[in-house]
Amino acid sequence: MGERKVAEINTLQAELDELIARVCGGIENKKEEKKCLSRIEKLRRTLSKKRSGSRLSRDFKRDLVSYSFIAPNFIGFAVFTLIPIVFAFALAFLKWDGSNAIEFMGLKNFKRLGSDVFFKAAFKNTIIYCIGTVPLTMIASLALAIILNQKVRGRAIFRTLSFFPYVGSLVAVTSVWKMLFHPSKGPINSILYHVFNVPVDKLPQWFSGGLVLLSLILFSVWKYMGYYMVIYLAGLQGISGELYEAGSLDGANTWQKFKYITWPQLRSTTFFVVVMLTINCFKVYDIAIMLAGGGSGELTTSSTVLVYYIYQKAFVDWDLGYSSAVAMVLFAIVLLVTVVQFAYQKKTAD
Amino acid sequence: MAKTKSKSKHDLIKKVVLYVILIIIAALMAIPFIWMLSASIKSDREVFQMDPFVLIPKNPKWSNYVQIWTKIPMLTFVKNTVFLTIIVTLLQLFTSSFAAYAFAKLQFKFRNGLFLAYIATIAMPWQVYMVPQFLMMRSFGLNDKLLAIICLQAFSAFGVFMMKQFYEGIPNELSEAARIDGMTEYQIYSHIMLPLSKPALSTLTIFTFVNTWNDYLGPLIYLKSTSKKTIQLGLKMFISQYSSDYGLIMAGSVLSLIPVIIVFMCLQKYFVEGVASTGLKG
Amino acid sequence: MRKKFLSVLLSAAMVTTLVTGCSGSAGNDTTTSGSTQGATVESTKGTTETTKGNDSKADNVTLKWAIWDKESTAYWQALADGYEATHENVKIDMVDLGSTDYMTVLATELSGSGSEFDVVTIKDVPGYATLVQKNAIRSLDDYIKTDGVDLTKYAGVTDQVTVDGSLYELPFRNDFWVLFYNKDIFDAEGVDYPTNDMTFDEYDALARKLTKTDFGNQVYGAHYHTWRSAVQLFGVLDGKHTILDGDYGFFADYYNMVLNQEKDGVCRKYSDLKTEGLHYSAAFSGGDVAMMNMGSWFIATMITNLANGEYDSSLCGNWGIVKYPHAEGVEPGSTLGTITGLAVTTATDTPDAAWDFVKWVSGEEGAKVMAETGNFPAIMTSEAMDIITSLDGFPQDEASKEALNVSNLYLEVPYAENVSEINSALDSYHGSIMSGEMTVEEGIAAMEEAVKAIKNK
Repeated sequence: MGERKVAEINTLQAELDELIARVCGGIENKKEEKKCLSRIEKLRRTLSKKRSGSRLSRDFKRDLVSYSFIAPNFIGFAVFTLIPIVFAFALAFLKWDGSNAIEFMGLKNFKRLGSDVFFKAAFKNTIIYCIGTVPLTMIASLALAIILNQKVRGRAIFRTLSFFPYVGSLVAVTSVWKMLFHPSKGPINSILYHVFNVPVDKLPQWFSGGLVLLSLILFSVWKYMGYYMVIYLAGLQGISGELYEAGSLDGANTWQKFKYITWPQLRSTTFFVVVMLTINCFKVYDIAIMLAGGGSGELTTSSTVLVYYIYQKAFVDWDLGYSSAVAMVLFAIVLLVTVVQFAYQKKTAD
Repeated sequence: MAKTKSKSKHDLIKKVVLYVILIIIAALMAIPFIWMLSASIKSDREVFQMDPFVLIPKNPKWSNYVQIWTKIPMLTFVKNTVFLTIIVTLLQLFTSSFAAYAFAKLQFKFRNGLFLAYIATIAMPWQVYMVPQFLMMRSFGLNDKLLAIICLQAFSAFGVFMMKQFYEGIPNELSEAARIDGMTEYQIYSHIMLPLSKPALSTLTIFTFVNTWNDYLGPLIYLKSTSKKTIQLGLKMFISQYSSDYGLIMAGSVLSLIPVIIVFMCLQKYFVEGVASTGLKG
Repeated sequence: MRKKFLSVLLSAAMVTTLVTGCSGSAGNDTTTSGSTQGATVESTKGTTETTKGNDSKADNVTLKWAIWDKESTAYWQALADGYEATHENVKIDMVDLGSTDYMTVLATELSGSGSEFDVVTIKDVPGYATLVQKNAIRSLDDYIKTDGVDLTKYAGVTDQVTVDGSLYELPFRNDFWVLFYNKDIFDAEGVDYPTNDMTFDEYDALARKLTKTDFGNQVYGAHYHTWRSAVQLFGVLDGKHTILDGDYGFFADYYNMVLNQEKDGVCRKYSDLKTEGLHYSAAFSGGDVAMMNMGSWFIATMITNLANGEYDSSLCGNWGIVKYPHAEGVEPGSTLGTITGLAVTTATDTPDAAWDFVKWVSGEEGAKVMAETGNFPAIMTSEAMDIITSLDGFPQDEASKEALNVSNLYLEVPYAENVSEINSALDSYHGSIMSGEMTVEEGIAAMEEAVKAIKNK
């Protein structure tokens, strides 16, 4: 090893030690800290490369360790989920009924979508449902989490109660909702009738026509609020109390504390919540069937949603290719939303 | 003096408002469940009787709670469901927190690509790949086996995603310091990350528990022998084509709710402890 | 290295899937209609002889049979017991797939080629069409020919499920729609009971005469369940139209009749029924419904539930049935039918034994078992008819007995290639019309457009 190289290694090592000391000593400025950390990582890599002379084996070892972490989950995931999904992807370009020979369709399945009335209705309804549900649920669950993160009496009971709707079996809770919103006998409509003097023939039909999506949205917010509240609670626990103490010393009021401490600190939680919410909203299915389904569980064009249509095409008509094509559209939208979210999170994080 | 008094008055008003809001929310959440309890001791006709509505019928049908064990082999179903739920939850907790650690704290090749594969599958409704999956599982000899449901549920992308987001919230300097101390990645995971992630782990426990417990479509497709069926399938058995036994369904729902509520009650205290109390300053 | 390993792993897994997928299809490729028949003829000839020769000492066979709601339906066990009693070497292994998603689970199970089922029950015609198209069940033509099964006994329904000249199921249960009525309501109003020969106008007038709209004391002259069949299919009873036509103007009169009744409080509102999920049995047994059109399966339900006290006999204990109303100039006794059949899977290793079971259940012996449990067998022998009408609890008036004589039976859904898609489209727009989202004209136009699109696909 040349003298020059040894010297070089020594200077690098010195810089590294100094940086580590600084980081361990604690850096007030978050940005500065991040900078140091990335520099440390970089230095360490250059050093190890210079020392061993072979970057490959070092990296290989590092990768191997990482893969050993991932492997137990990934193998199960790849075999039981990923492969069938790849297959489903391919199906969108094929014609298959689950038994007979597979036929290649090219883009025909996608072309069919354009003239399909049911698909268009399902697409529109799903989008409206998502636009309504995602922000409402997020705001409601965050508010609930903040309230239930404070020292209030009976906190455990309130938390458990808010979690009830999520846990309750869908069959049971939808039937309760349907009684409450019953068009001619339900308490909601009887209040409208008796208190607000709405004439009988003008009473809202909550589960058909123009109102059905609103009912679906309200129900979903109610049912899933507790679920996202739990995620937010876990996130809130991660915020150090010292930050709030510092805030109080600076004379920040409740709103300012929320705006400058809670909200930024919850960034990665919010990202997770919004992504999961969006995905789950696009996948809405059984809620629609149980609240708005007619005599044999069928949905009309005012209440049909994408996954219902996917299910119909796959398991009633056994047109797996076309069903996959519909799913691809859904998948593309969700992916787009997720990528935008990702980019936004990255941008605000830096 | 006057100032503190007005402040305490202000605080009182704030408290009252807070409790009023809480009670309204609690009522919104609880009413349907009170209805459910009430319906579980009613006969079929009383269940949908609204005018007049009675909370406790004159002759409560407690027999619903007895019948649910005798009309269907409920005990077998409970055993199966408990078995499945416990195994799936344990596997899920272990494998996803393990994988999430690598995604959150380690650098390696194809990291982003692999993670994208996970995220992408969350976006795919199960109905789309159910048929190819079923054919594959059957060729592995897993049709009508409890193991099929375990394979299906235990390696979900959701768990990895959730744990990763949580680990990212834990400052890097902790693991950095440990690395400098010469700890291996496995030690960092088990000695530092795992103890810190109690809130996230308990959240994941609850979600996985509820999901597996309430799953219907998976068991429906895979489990056919009566000796292998789950509670949800049992409940659906009542809603058959020509009759619907609402009182019994509600009694069953109440029963199936209890374990999940217990799990939630046990774990919810970890949301209070968690990161802040383990000495970590964010 | 590791990259290679991963890709090897991935591709290995991929190959497994594809092989599974393809072996499913490959297996079936060779058995598409033409060649199946050829193959079956030979194997049938070969094996029927041996089976016949060895009937008593043959190897033990276990037949796996897909059914639903084993606990609440009496006839599954009775049929299996009846067959096992006369066929000692055969064991029937019933697998309960539940009724709510029965056809979905069954079709998934029969996908590919690895299924273990030998005999499957066919619940509805759209599901039957799916299984036929998936090559999941066998053509029974050669068996029928070899064993000389007389299809005329099935009163023409087998013709409505014949696919390109071949039959893939044999019905063992055949329900038809009749009009149930509550005699007490008629007596209280002093109105004559409905008759076995009523036009729709007479029926409508009768329903209106019995209706009382006083709050808290309502009586509904009629009740229509939320199914499409309960309203729309009045239109097919003249025998001139079917739901496969693609031209649905003939629905209009009946939609208008029911919607007008709804408006005048003659029947419960569709949107209320849908929201409540009110079961038709709860509606009729509640004692405030004068007449309800429903399938003959409800007869057994009424008898059982009145006997065990589940239904209040002071509310609905005095009931009767008459034939469906009919349009002007159509023969009375024309009604809708729903068949339940058995089929032999393509995947079975013991097709002959499976066929023998199917033949038995759908034949006279099976019919007797069905009648004894209060159900209508597909072969309506006079013996089976006597068993049902003499059941304890069957209405004792002559008109009710006469009501069981069907003159023309039209299946709710006859077979067609795209029948399941047509069925879904009609179901959906039925909901739109009944809930007021669309007018009758708009709904029918939308049905016609949707079905046209399906046919032109």
